[in-house]
Amino acid sequence: MKRICILSLAGMALSATTFGGSFQLNLQGMRQVAMGGSGVAMPWDASTIFYNPGGLSRLSGMQAYGSVYLVSPTIRYVPDNEGGNYYETKKHTSTPFALYVGGPLKKDSRWGVGLGVYTPFGSSAKWGNEWTGRYITESISLQSVFIQPTVSYRIHDIVSVGAGFIYSTGTVEIHKAIPLQNSNGDDGQAELSGKANGVGFNVGVQIKASDNFNIGMSYRSAVKMKVKDGDATFTVPQSVASNFPNTSFSTQLPLPSILTIGAAYQATQALTIQADLVVAGWKKYDSLKFDFENNTVALQDTRDPRLYKNTVALRLGAHYQISKEVSAMIGGAFDPTPSDAKYLSPDAVDADRVSLSCGIVITPLEKLNIMAALNYTTTAGHKASYTPANFNGTYQIKSLSPAIGVSYSF
Amino acid sequence: MKATYYSIAAALLLLSACKPTIQGEAPTKGNADFSNYVAIGNSLTAGYADGTLYRSGQLNSYPNMLAQQFKLVGGGNFKQPLLPGNFGWPGAKRVLGSTLSCDGTTGLGPVLYNGPADTAGSSTNISAQGPFNNLGVPGIRCIDYTLAGYGAIAQVLGGVGYAARMYPNPLTDKPVDIAARSNATFFTLWLGNNDVLGYATGGGEGNGKGGGQPADISPLITFEASYRTVVDTMTAHGAKGVLINIPDVTSIPFFTTIPAMGLVLARQGQADSLTAAYAMAGLNIKFNVGANPFIIQDTSAPGGMRPIKNGEYILLTTPQDSIKCRGWGSKKPIPKRYVLDATEVSNVQTATANFNNVIATVAKEKGLPVVNANAYLKTLQSGIKFNGLTFTPAFVTGGAFSLDGVHLTPRGYALMANEIIRVINSYYGATIPSVDITKYNGVLFP
Repeated sequence: MKRICILSLAGMALSATTFGGSFQLNLQGMRQVAMGGSGVAMPWDASTIFYNPGGLSRLSGMQAYGSVYLVSPTIRYVPDNEGGNYYETKKHTSTPFALYVGGPLKKDSRWGVGLGVYTPFGSSAKWGNEWTGRYITESISLQSVFIQPTVSYRIHDIVSVGAGFIYSTGTVEIHKAIPLQNSNGDDGQAELSGKANGVGFNVGVQIKASDNFNIGMSYRSAVKMKVKDGDATFTVPQSVASNFPNTSFSTQLPLPSILTIGAAYQATQALTIQADLVVAGWKKYDSLKFDFENNTVALQDTRDPRLYKNTVALRLGAHYQISKEVSAMIGGAFDPTPSDAKYLSPDAVDADRVSLSCGIVITPLEKLNIMAALNYTTTAGHKASYTPANFNGTYQIKSLSPAIGVSYSF
Repeated sequence: MKATYYSIAAALLLLSACKPTIQGEAPTKGNADFSNYVAIGNSLTAGYADGTLYRSGQLNSYPNMLAQQFKLVGGGNFKQPLLPGNFGWPGAKRVLGSTLSCDGTTGLGPVLYNGPADTAGSSTNISAQGPFNNLGVPGIRCIDYTLAGYGAIAQVLGGVGYAARMYPNPLTDKPVDIAARSNATFFTLWLGNNDVLGYATGGGEGNGKGGGQPADISPLITFEASYRTVVDTMTAHGAKGVLINIPDVTSIPFFTTIPAMGLVLARQGQADSLTAAYAMAGLNIKFNVGANPFIIQDTSAPGGMRPIKNGEYILLTTPQDSIKCRGWGSKKPIPKRYVLDATEVSNVQTATANFNNVIATVAKEKGLPVVNANAYLKTLQSGIKFNGLTFTPAFVTGGAFSLDGVHLTPRGYALMANEIIRVINSYYGATIPSVDITKYNGVLFP
């Protein structure tokens, strides 16, 4: 028995992980966030560059706008049949932001121009290297920044249109354990990291149907985030190291198209209510593939099923002008998950989300707005499996995200 | 002041609203009593692995895993006859290491552990620390359970003192009496493996029809009588438990690692000269380029040898260098003690089926559930997945079997523990949490 050395590592192949799921971040404007994320119909401020480029030419003047959000969701995973045992993601705060500058070229101009820099997709979940799902994911971080130069044209008093080109740049970093333990019992480790980029567009129509009724529609195209030359680094026991050479990899992640249709109704002088219907084209996200440059018997290209489906989300909000200096907002949203409950990987946990939000805008000077918003998102317990790994349990996500922002009109 | 309290309360409420609240199903014991759990069995129950018994293997035995889960539903302390060290006793454990073949090639394979021997005190009788909850004795057969003085006999004849170190009176104790004295309220019973395994791992050289010696298959009548005695004893005072049946030993890596078609010839010249050599000896055995069946010893075949057939097995203990450099399996036959031929395989499988019938019958009569280890371990063939891990019966890489090719890794034992828990939960209406397999080790690589 001593000299048996029939060591085939087939079957230990690294199975891939995703760098995202329903990782849409609906945090691009303070007032809109405070109103459940709705905002396609009404050009509230320069953030309409994101919500509806068509509204940009309708602003009263040039505006510079900046906001930042503190997002620190907690995800709990309760494994099936393990009693009171559960795992939670480690505390981690990410800071999606949005910067805009734009408006009509000059007073009463039909043309508006602007630039938006914002973070519509991102995901981060750190489960750690000791939890039960470490062979699927230990941590994941996806960041993307969209840069969107935009033009808008007011056709007449009722209809205005706009379009923006999107250049997207981002990073991805994935850690997971490899089930090859060294003599101390420590797992092997895989780290995949790289830069991603892609292009797309954002177009919109804004209709001021009457003095107190606005309609809007926008379409943000899908963006293929391509990683061309990522770095895959492996740490495995020395005796099997030749099976896991460090290598480059390529992959791509489709960010979905977003079609939004909405209306805003000014019920009284002070009160505006608005609603958006958002169709997200997640169906393109059928599987996630990793192509490793240097394949071995143990390190094969991977393909993980995701089988996402398109979703329709509903967002509602109300805006109340308390006084000339102060306005308050409240809203809520229902976001169904695009994920399939049989293919829900712990690196992209998602469930039908309910969110509630509120906010306040103070105008201490005529041109200056100071804005604050709070968003609370929760899910019910969502029972799901990641079938390829036989990983089963119930998930719950909760997050409370405060945000602050400031805008200044020229 | 009040406003401050209110705002603090509101802030706390907000913060707590950020924390997920879902909970798992609460553990319940159903209609079984786990306060005194006792495990009856052999090496698999003792936590034997890598060709020997050592302390961490014992700590990772499936009964110890079960006991930790039973504690969540009122289970008591679980005492094991732990060895002092991790070297392996009486022999060193196997670990993966660098191996050098006769042809000068190096590779990775099981080698004997050469770390410091921490075995001092291993043979000391520790029965005073008992009674033990894990009564698994490596090497013990079902038919040994009613044998008075088994501890001493095994030590003298077999050279292993596993029972002798934990039984109060090895010269007179019957294993079944030790089991009776444990006063179990709940038991697992996994017996019978060694009643076929000794014959199989010995290459089927013993009496395949029920001889009674360690290298033989146990006689069915004796097996049944002994099995009934053990179960009657355990249930005499109303204890509940589970019976675990006998896996098909021919599906374990000890028999499946060296392939029957393992004689690979690269050149036509090699094939032709082998064919010619056998023709000169008057044997019509043809060799081809590529994979050929090994030549095995078979006293009933012409010339006392023949190519191995499908469904026959070469043992993991076959000296690899003799195959590589001394012409075993090609120029001369592999000796029959390293081969389980078709008749021997049939003997093993018939005995396994007969013994499992006894287990099923006794279970039915006694109202006990059976863990079908035979069927469960067969599902390894297609791969058992758990949280991103895939277990197969493959040697070293499959993750479930330890480096002796017969016993399990801690993760393999954890798979068994979960299967046992599944059966307990379903039969006794309990909700005992399963074991997190990823907390245990598989095969370790240097």
